[in-house]
Amino acid sequence: MAISPVYALRETGQNLWRNFMLSMATVITIGVSLWLFGGFFLFNYAVDNATQRWEGGIEFVVWMNPEATSEQNANILDAIMTSPEIQDYTFVDQDAAYEEFKDIFSDTPELVEVVTPEVMPPSYRVVPVDPDADVVAELAGQFEGRPGVKTVVSANDTIRDIQDLADEVSTVFLAGSLVLLAAATLLILTNIVSAIRNRGREIEIMKVVGATNWFIRIPFMLEGIMQALLGAVFAWGGLYVIDQRVIGRFSQPDSLELMAGFQVESDELIFTGGLVLGIALAVSVIGSSIAVTRYLDT
Amino acid sequence: MIKLENVTKVYKGENVALRDATLGIDKGEFVFLVGASGSGKSTFIRLLNREEVPEHGTIYVAGKDIGTLGRWKVPYLRRNIGYIFQDFKLLPNKTVAENVAFALEVIGKPRHVIKKQVPAILELVGLSEKIANFPSELSGGEQQRVSIARAFVNRPLILLADEPTGNLDPQTSVGIMRLLDRINRTGTTVVMATHDQGIVDTMRRRVIELDRGVIVRDQARGVYE
Repeated sequence: MAISPVYALRETGQNLWRNFMLSMATVITIGVSLWLFGGFFLFNYAVDNATQRWEGGIEFVVWMNPEATSEQNANILDAIMTSPEIQDYTFVDQDAAYEEFKDIFSDTPELVEVVTPEVMPPSYRVVPVDPDADVVAELAGQFEGRPGVKTVVSANDTIRDIQDLADEVSTVFLAGSLVLLAAATLLILTNIVSAIRNRGREIEIMKVVGATNWFIRIPFMLEGIMQALLGAVFAWGGLYVIDQRVIGRFSQPDSLELMAGFQVESDELIFTGGLVLGIALAVSVIGSSIAVTRYLDT
Repeated sequence: MIKLENVTKVYKGENVALRDATLGIDKGEFVFLVGASGSGKSTFIRLLNREEVPEHGTIYVAGKDIGTLGRWKVPYLRRNIGYIFQDFKLLPNKTVAENVAFALEVIGKPRHVIKKQVPAILELVGLSEKIANFPSELSGGEQQRVSIARAFVNRPLILLADEPTGNLDPQTSVGIMRLLDRINRTGTTVVMATHDQGIVDTMRRRVIELDRGVIVRDQARGVYE
């Protein structure tokens, strides 16, 4: 006969209540570790979104006037293709530039509405042979002021610093969250072992009267899962705060131009939330499975 | 109902708890297991419930070789065997009715069955008036009655009792034995380990005596010594 949901929930609730302090410690640890883990993802998404035009070794961008003639365009292309100091380039036409703009400013539809592909400047994104800052500055300068060129923008040291800093911060976030997740798994295990010991007599009676192994185990496993789910809810709240209050602040119009595009798309936020939930479930199933198989000799 | 064929149980350190035991117990029998402490009475009972597995020999319960049962089938075996403890093992945070209902609840019986069977069994053991009391509010004899009710509420084929009167005074013990006798008359096989000479001598039922793990006497309508 199957386990009654009412029975399973009641027993799980009682277990949580009996071990209230330890349960809360577990929930908070899971919440903080998942928050850090999710924060690692959100931060990476935001940095990637902000610096995507500078990825793949691109060191400077030659922005053309939308009204540049085909001859002017051909001259710039010829200069790029014949330069021995340029390793590679990508041409982003007006339609592609518009798509990128829409992507970056997806959370600001009023801005996207007033822009059309015709006003978007096409650009050449250039990968030099030598990424040294002085070499890049000298090379970018060769295109500055040429007919049809609107402006030339270099990936300056600040952007590189941001990328480096982001890498380091992400590593710390990830390492910290993994350590905390391991601690959370151990806490779930400890919590359930404690519950098993507290209920030694009940378990003995259950075995004697013929309760199945799963009937005995399920409430304990549910206890671990409930703790993890509560931790995930706690983490979601924290991630919402990161997205709205921290990342959102950088993407406001009056923030640094450098941080334009430093934001998280809604699908990235949903993915991160789902990942946090998945990790929470995995951690709880691992912790509670070890506890019931090692300490609940059925 | 129960059959042992050359059953030997050895604990760690070469401590032989049961040696080459062979016997049969029919349906509806009432059997006393007697012998000194450490003679193997509790091991005998634990083997029947598959809490222990013998090193040698075969045990049949209700026609099934319980030594070959898969782990997942053991709970279903135990649903046919009621178990009464010397120290009652009631759950202190549950009432009398809840303690008895617990035995049905954890084997997945529906609520309407529990609601019907619990009052009936509590009436049988004479505790209808104490249905809402907690174990701490009961006498030793009453607690043992609750324990018996919990063991019998699922109407098992066999009732195993390990020193059920060991913690009770003689007068209360008589009441408990009357109750077990009444249950036995319903066709339930009762196997009871005891040190209580007065009870064994009064009831005059089958007596199996163990001495250091060996069956030294198997006597119908026997006495303690």
